[in-house]
Amino acid sequence: GAMRSRAEVDATLQTAKLNPAELLPAAHCLSFGPQAGIGTGDCCLLQLEPGLCAELEAGRSLVIRGEKDEQAVLCSKDKTYDMKIADTSNMLLFIPGCKTPEELNADQASCDIIHSQIAGFSSNYWELRRCRPKLKKLRKLLMEDPYEGPDSRKDQTLTFSKYTTEDLLSLIQASEEEILHQLQVIDACKIEGYWRILEFDYEMKLLNHVTQLIDSESWPLSKVPLRTCLEELGSLEPREMIEHILLSYGRKYIDDAGEVYFEMHEDKICRAIAQMLLQNAVKFNLSEFQEVWQQSVPEGMTARLDQLKGLALVDKTSRPETIFLLKVEDLPEDNQERFNSLFSIREKWTEVDITPYIQDLCAEKQTVGALLTKYARSSTQNGVKVYNSRRPIS
Amino acid sequence: EAAFLVRSEGAGGLAQWVLMELQGEVEPRQSGGLAGSLLGDLHYTREGVPVLIVGHHILYGKVVQLEKPFAVLVKRGAGEPGPAGPHTHYTVTALIKTKLLFKTRPKPIITNVPKKV
Repeated sequence: GAMRSRAEVDATLQTAKLNPAELLPAAHCLSFGPQAGIGTGDCCLLQLEPGLCAELEAGRSLVIRGEKDEQAVLCSKDKTYDMKIADTSNMLLFIPGCKTPEELNADQASCDIIHSQIAGFSSNYWELRRCRPKLKKLRKLLMEDPYEGPDSRKDQTLTFSKYTTEDLLSLIQASEEEILHQLQVIDACKIEGYWRILEFDYEMKLLNHVTQLIDSESWPLSKVPLRTCLEELGSLEPREMIEHILLSYGRKYIDDAGEVYFEMHEDKICRAIAQMLLQNAVKFNLSEFQEVWQQSVPEGMTARLDQLKGLALVDKTSRPETIFLLKVEDLPEDNQERFNSLFSIREKWTEVDITPYIQDLCAEKQTVGALLTKYARSSTQNGVKVYNSRRPIS
Repeated sequence: EAAFLVRSEGAGGLAQWVLMELQGEVEPRQSGGLAGSLLGDLHYTREGVPVLIVGHHILYGKVVQLEKPFAVLVKRGAGEPGPAGPHTHYTVTALIKTKLLFKTRPKPIITNVPKKV
């Protein structure tokens, strides 16, 4: 139909018994646009968390990620958010070109009729909540085909269990920065364009070459030269792998003369050697293990139990005391499932023992204490505070 | 493919739209559906109070600056059957930072009853 005129608008005001003198001179006539009747099939509202609005205004894109069996998440370049539909009992109409009183007041001359078309409407919108990136799948994918070295015949066959950065971006529910950071944390490396994790035995073989060389050259652990490592070990292993193992287990720096050195991470090396020893049996006599472990670490390094947080657990109730492998990365990613799993391994935990196994669950400003309050019940045993499950574990 | 791009058309500056929140449902008066039909007249008092005349009702509302703005997403490239084909993506068409909230009960407009002659 024809658009409403000023005369018609004024007539309506009169019928409504509204005094034009009390109103701003400009008015909007709202009608439904040609697409609006279709409803919200193709158009929806997304409520933005702080920072996302600025990202969009800067022209940056966001990505919604999730396979059919996964709950969708929204990713900016460095953060991940859970998506949920929020239902209101009201109608939300979105109107282009609709002016606010401030905008109308700024344009004093206007007494126009503004014809605004409602673009669409909805009774719900997408709500976002910042969440931990879902990175457990990353390790799982890379463990499908760990790199066993250039001599492995496995790599010569065509296999499709190899992933590029793009592949990972489309499969992992996390932002690009979170994914790249995690790849660094798990010491992944790019081989022929694909991200790979080293197979543990091969990794230990590489580490052993380096520690033996450090020993035979009597280098200080804080000053291991890259150049000499490549010269001495280059005939045994690919140069990229030698450099990769140094990067994984050391901190790279350059001295005043421009030479590259590594300051070796004593804790990380001792921890890897402990894993190598522990993975051979279900559990070990603690004192026997500590003896063998100290003998196995490089000269000058001290093996300490606190290096094994999140890797192994000591059972102080057994006689003799024992130790066994328990890797946090093998445990479930979901909070409730993680706690269920921990409580089925051990009924009562001290805060000191359980912290390394729940630390990664903490949301942005959440503490371990808050997690324990939510998912566990505390009691005192022999004067020590312990935590157990809130519900019976089957 | 399980990733859907939410592309911002922000390079030239994103459009700013306004949200209007009404109670209940919007129904077409005539049988032709909503497209093209009028909703009503929107006025503002000199104090900035939004006044909406819809049919025989007046609604008084409030201008609210949204603490969390909205993005209006439009799905594109959905030529494929099913929830999302490989080329499906969303475009951010506009941002909404302001809401006109109409929560009060609409006042009916009582027109004068003509006297019987």
